[in-house]
Amino acid sequence: MFDVIFIGLSLGSILLLVALGLAITYGAMGVINMAHGEMVMVGAYTTVMGGLWLHIGFLASLPLAFVITGLLGWAIERIVVRRLYGRLLDTLLATWGVAILLQQAVRLEFGLSFFGIHIRGLGPGLQNVKVPAWMTGVVSIGGDQVNIYRLFIILVTAALTFVTWLLMFRSDIGIQVRAITRNPRMAAACGIDVQRINALTFAYGSGLAGVAGVMMSGFKTVFPDMGSAMVVDGFMVVVVGGVGSLLGSVLSAGLLGQVNGGVAAVTNDILARAVVFGLVILIIIIKPTGLFSFKGR
Amino acid sequence: MLTLREVNSFYGRSHALHGVTMDIADRSITAILGRNGVGKTTLLKSIIGLMDRVAGRIMLQGKDITILPAFRRARLGIAYVPQGRDIIPDFSIRENILMGAFARTDGKRAIPDLIAQLFPYLTQNLDRPGGVLSGGQQQQLAIARALAAEPKLLLLDEPTEGIQPNIVEEIQTLILRLNQEVGITIILVEQNVAFARRAAGAFVMMEKGRVVVAEKIAGLTDDIVHRHMAV
Repeated sequence: MFDVIFIGLSLGSILLLVALGLAITYGAMGVINMAHGEMVMVGAYTTVMGGLWLHIGFLASLPLAFVITGLLGWAIERIVVRRLYGRLLDTLLATWGVAILLQQAVRLEFGLSFFGIHIRGLGPGLQNVKVPAWMTGVVSIGGDQVNIYRLFIILVTAALTFVTWLLMFRSDIGIQVRAITRNPRMAAACGIDVQRINALTFAYGSGLAGVAGVMMSGFKTVFPDMGSAMVVDGFMVVVVGGVGSLLGSVLSAGLLGQVNGGVAAVTNDILARAVVFGLVILIIIIKPTGLFSFKGR
Repeated sequence: MLTLREVNSFYGRSHALHGVTMDIADRSITAILGRNGVGKTTLLKSIIGLMDRVAGRIMLQGKDITILPAFRRARLGIAYVPQGRDIIPDFSIRENILMGAFARTDGKRAIPDLIAQLFPYLTQNLDRPGGVLSGGQQQQLAIARALAAEPKLLLLDEPTEGIQPNIVEEIQTLILRLNQEVGITIILVEQNVAFARRAAGAFVMMEKGRVVVAEKIAGLTDDIVHRHMAV
């Protein structure tokens, strides 16, 4: 039983890291970022490439992926998303385009494969990441054996969620982000540089997805399309939790992770996914605004 | 202090202000008068920078601000109290006030003493959510938020609209004190002609997005009021 809850918790953790970024960008900025899943993918490839080319370990990949995907997110905001604020469906299409672009860039090795040049670690194939040996073992907590790697995922997620909470509710940046969420025009009239804050928010959310990607690479194969499913999962968490609510995202990630892990433990992964989708549909029918939504204007 | 020259303003494709020209004197109160929908709010939004497009020239203390985004104008000392107040209901009173402080250029994030003096009720209840306040208190909160930046120019859009009568007088006294004692230049959109006559030094009468009369307040005759404000 403890085992199942623990696995559910680690699944929920990955979901949460992906969803936190979406919760901020969708909730705060009204942008549907379909390229968010590709940040997970880029994070995972950062681990692969970092190991192959720079010989940095798995742990060092975490901050590196945060910086790389953060910069990438920042660039996407500046080049594409900035021009589309207030046009929800256009952001969906445009960022979907960006997502495809990123996938193909990895698959075609930035186009170099046309010239017969191949970069180790990229390309259409599957990649694997080795986690440090000490992470593959188990520790005993209260008599139960738990996988160190899963424990690591949970701890990193808890730490990053706490940092995100501090940023959003205890910092100057956070009050600006929340002000923009509630009333962007009034925020601007109060001297808040909406564009700058939006770019930072976007970069931060992308960075979190990158970290999620690093951690996923430790127990799943890495391939160019791996992000597509993640963005769907991320949006499910955000919508179930209630758009714009951080707490909602945390709880809904926990819930969906547990359901996924629990059903998978007694049946199989495919059925677990079906049950999760069914549950999400049910929740949206009963509470269209999600479980925890702040009262909008 | 502030000059507008041939300002044309647009919401999307709709042309809301037509060739508006005016001069606002330093440390004055200017009343903007006119019926509903003649462009008074649009005028304030054009000054703070919340319109989709503005043509013409807007100068603040000799500096051309026509193309500056709203947050830059706020940081140059313009503060805006919109109609309907637009305070954030689930922000605490403190957060609502400090939101205005982002327009400060010295980076300080504190509630100025002036606000504590003027609004003892607000400063004693800093942790309550803004949404539970009465209409009049919310108006005071919106003014406090504007003052958090210690502005030079304050734009007030119908500050006494929809507020219980006992607080109306309080807010009117506040507006006069801010002008006379603190020395803030005020542009006041107002339906209450009696208060405009009492408070303002000059007035601008608007009709269909244009300025029809702009004069010293003594020139605000009953005839002008009747012609441009009677419904």
